[in-house]
Amino acid sequence: MDNDRLIWMYTQMVRIREFEERVKRTFDEHPGVIRGHTHLADGAEASIVGSLATMQPGDQLMATYRCHGYPITLGTDTKAIMAEIYGRTDGLCGGYGGSMHLADPGRGFLGTSGIVGQGIPQATGVGYAAQIRNRTQPPTVVLCFFGDGASKQGAFHESLNLASLWKLPVVYIMENNNYNVATRSEQEDANAAAGEPLSVKAKAHSMPGVTVDGGDPLAVHATVSEAADRARRGDGPTLVESKVYRLSAHGNLIAPPGVPLHYEEHEAIRVFGNRDEYEAALRGDPVPRFRMQLIEQGVLDVARADEIAQAAREEMDAAVQFALDSPFPAPEAATNFVYA
Amino acid sequence: MTGAGSAAVRRARAGKPRPPAIPPDTAVALLRTIWRIRCFEERIAQLHKSLQIQGLVHLSIGGEGVAATVCGQLRDDDAVYSGHRAHGHALAKGAPMAQTLAELMGRSGGLCRGLGGSMHLVDATRGLMGATGVVGGNLPLAAGDALAKRLAGSDAVTVVFFGDGAVQAGHFHETVNLAALWELPLIFVCENNGMAEFTSRAEHTTVASVADVVSPYGFARATVDGSDVAAVHDKFAAYLEQARMGEGPFLLECLTHRRRGHYEGDQQQYRDEQAEAQWSAKDPLARWQERGRAEGWLSAAQAQQLERDATAEVEQALAYARQSPPPTAAQAAALVYAAAPDGAPPR
Amino acid sequence: MAREIPYIVAVNEALQFEMERDETVVFYGQDVAPSDEDPLVKAFGRDRVRVSPISETAEIGMATGLALAGFRPVVELLMAEFMLVAMNQVVNEAPRLRYMSGGQVKVPVVFKAGYGFTAGWAGQHTGSIYNMFCGIPGLKVALPSTPADAKGLLATAIRDDNPVCYFIHYLLVLEHGDVPEGEYLVPFGEASVRRTGSDVTIVATGWTVGKALQAAELLAQEGIEAEVIDPRTLQPLDLPAILSSVEKTGHLVLADQATRHASAASFIAAEVAEHGFGYLKAPVKLVTALDATIPYSQPMEAYVLPDEHKIADAARQVVGAAPVAA
Repeated sequence: MDNDRLIWMYTQMVRIREFEERVKRTFDEHPGVIRGHTHLADGAEASIVGSLATMQPGDQLMATYRCHGYPITLGTDTKAIMAEIYGRTDGLCGGYGGSMHLADPGRGFLGTSGIVGQGIPQATGVGYAAQIRNRTQPPTVVLCFFGDGASKQGAFHESLNLASLWKLPVVYIMENNNYNVATRSEQEDANAAAGEPLSVKAKAHSMPGVTVDGGDPLAVHATVSEAADRARRGDGPTLVESKVYRLSAHGNLIAPPGVPLHYEEHEAIRVFGNRDEYEAALRGDPVPRFRMQLIEQGVLDVARADEIAQAAREEMDAAVQFALDSPFPAPEAATNFVYA
Repeated sequence: MTGAGSAAVRRARAGKPRPPAIPPDTAVALLRTIWRIRCFEERIAQLHKSLQIQGLVHLSIGGEGVAATVCGQLRDDDAVYSGHRAHGHALAKGAPMAQTLAELMGRSGGLCRGLGGSMHLVDATRGLMGATGVVGGNLPLAAGDALAKRLAGSDAVTVVFFGDGAVQAGHFHETVNLAALWELPLIFVCENNGMAEFTSRAEHTTVASVADVVSPYGFARATVDGSDVAAVHDKFAAYLEQARMGEGPFLLECLTHRRRGHYEGDQQQYRDEQAEAQWSAKDPLARWQERGRAEGWLSAAQAQQLERDATAEVEQALAYARQSPPPTAAQAAALVYAAAPDGAPPR
Repeated sequence: MAREIPYIVAVNEALQFEMERDETVVFYGQDVAPSDEDPLVKAFGRDRVRVSPISETAEIGMATGLALAGFRPVVELLMAEFMLVAMNQVVNEAPRLRYMSGGQVKVPVVFKAGYGFTAGWAGQHTGSIYNMFCGIPGLKVALPSTPADAKGLLATAIRDDNPVCYFIHYLLVLEHGDVPEGEYLVPFGEASVRRTGSDVTIVATGWTVGKALQAAELLAQEGIEAEVIDPRTLQPLDLPAILSSVEKTGHLVLADQATRHASAASFIAAEVAEHGFGYLKAPVKLVTALDATIPYSQPMEAYVLPDEHKIADAARQVVGAAPVAA
């Protein structure tokens, strides 16, 4: 990979981190501006960027309610993303969807499901469409993102079986952060309880399953590239388990209107009192880790890395300001878009 | 039958130690059950054709060996969950034939007072806890039942029957994960007839055998020739013994054959004639009788007597069913909700 | 002795009381007590309080199996929408097994879920979908609107021998109210008259009960006395209570957070049309959510939902009073 590409990857990771920190800070700096539930990708930046860096023109993806990082990497205007999270008319989805339901079909991001696992069959259908198109066009693949919890959904297994049977060009990317909200994987997954990687579930569907360090963007890139190549060749899907550590709580506090929302401590501390686990994860934070790696390899110098960070900060400051200034949609607009 | 299935049969046979001999009394009892199911179902086919039994009816002719051997080893406090092809499981679990037939004919004297019919046979006192009409719908129910047995501290076990078509349904995987995670005393018995309704297994999945589908979970599993009564008996006996000691879950895949269509009236345009001929030679009833004569636990006269007894029982059952009236509308309406227990307020 | 506690505390009190009272009550679900320090785990042990994977079909199906085998499971489903993932188990298994067995088995299960979280949760976590369960013979549906009912209806749901959908309203969880201590049961199929009045009957469910009471205050200032009826359970429905109120007032408004044609208001209106047509002096009015998925942005969200002003306006219309500009 050339240096420009490496620097591009690092830049996207920093942009995601800065964006997510702005979302988190909004709860303190602009109380009441974000409603409902947000879910942050901090800690998963390397996995997201490593995966999306494999994309070629025409490739598509679907994701979950933890979805801010994908459009940021794809080049969607962060102003529009923030405005959506603030419920404004200039939002990416006009204020209809909010944080959990981003979509930017023009960039190949077809959307998300707010319900665990339910986007997987949809992405599989996108893969079916791609397979048909691939017969007459340069082959494209579909990246399907979901969490470890979704692998206990029937929809996950039904989708993998069909994709394997029909050799659909899909890469199933499980971002395994080891928590279903506050429940640890070994409490709810027979494989995790047995100390096995969750990629072994691919065996049930006669497809390759691999586990990769989701904190290493280059490792993720290599693994997803191989899976995407396989899919592009028409050899069918792969299950990639990307092991990440979510650095924030599952989402902001769940409370009825009137109660100030904020992010509580990570569940490792709040529920299990395990500060050591969380601090170890912080020491392995993929963003500074990749920065250090690129500096050591001479790809970046400190000044350039700082410039990238500064540019991301300025971009996200502008996104927050844009979103705050954007008007709310007209109430009557609520009944638009119910039917095509 | 798919090539994959045949390969699985060969694998199951290869290197298999000679099973311990089944005691002659047990062997004859199994044969009696098989005859009872066979005669019952052949009569059902006639009754269905002459419109005396209505609705959707699924027969297990060709697969009776599994029902007889599995259910024949269970106690009344062991639970069986079945599906739409449930007649054999019901009779083998001890449901009286007369009430079973009356149920199929929609009579008030039926097992379920005529409200369930062929696909929904229940005989709670004998541990036939439910047959559900939606493919694989019974799987999580059985896991819950097994959890109940664990919580109650009993050594009773739960058996769930399902076809290979259910394995492609998500709830199969959800149930397997939970059964493995919570180590439930649940025995999954897959009757793999190689056909999911009207299409062959190869059109549903790339995974050769059902047992392979649970391979990620690491619990004991086996594939046996479902037409080989002794093979099913021995493997199930081993799992049952371990489940009674608190282990589980287990999966037993029985490669069977569906001699008739998916349902009665099915035109079966998807059938492979050659496979049909091969499988007819594998009729579990014929094979078990043959083996009985070879091993000396069955005389020709005994075999004929078993068939005559079964035929007579079916006719008696039919006489019972015919004189039983259909349920009244009031009876039907009264069963929609369970009544409030004494002194409690629900209404 | 009653004391003031929040709705959500009342819910948990009922669960705890019933679990103490009956050791066959089992409670599990996603994210239920992952820590061994959880008070429910400490009180009842890991056998009876479990955290489960995100496997709604298995969770709900297993509850039915547990019930068939003699237990009384309460499944925590968090959001009513998550039941949609397992519709076969909710609609086609649990409520039908008793019937199809000719009464041999019973399925005492509680499907416990929250609904109506119109607080910026956008389109997939805010629905009011209870009505789709009211038309399933064999299922019961309870919708507590007060802390006391939250406690009493859950206790009754747990003791009921049928599958019960017990839906708490997420916007009410911190509302305080008087709740009796100890054992407390609210019978199913018994409506509560929240306010008496002679001019118009307002039938409201869940969160709209409070909105209807606010509307009644607005109307009272104009000399219109509204009677507010909360059915509390939609299946069974206390139709006699509604009919006798309509007989008295001659006017009916139905308030419901669901969209119009998927609302309880629509089937209650049909029942009144069939059984109480002669009492009505004017056509009924339904005040429901507009036919749209709940939008994220606050002004649009408020626009699609019923509120006290829309309810009051509907009441003015049915009694023939002049509308009041908002």
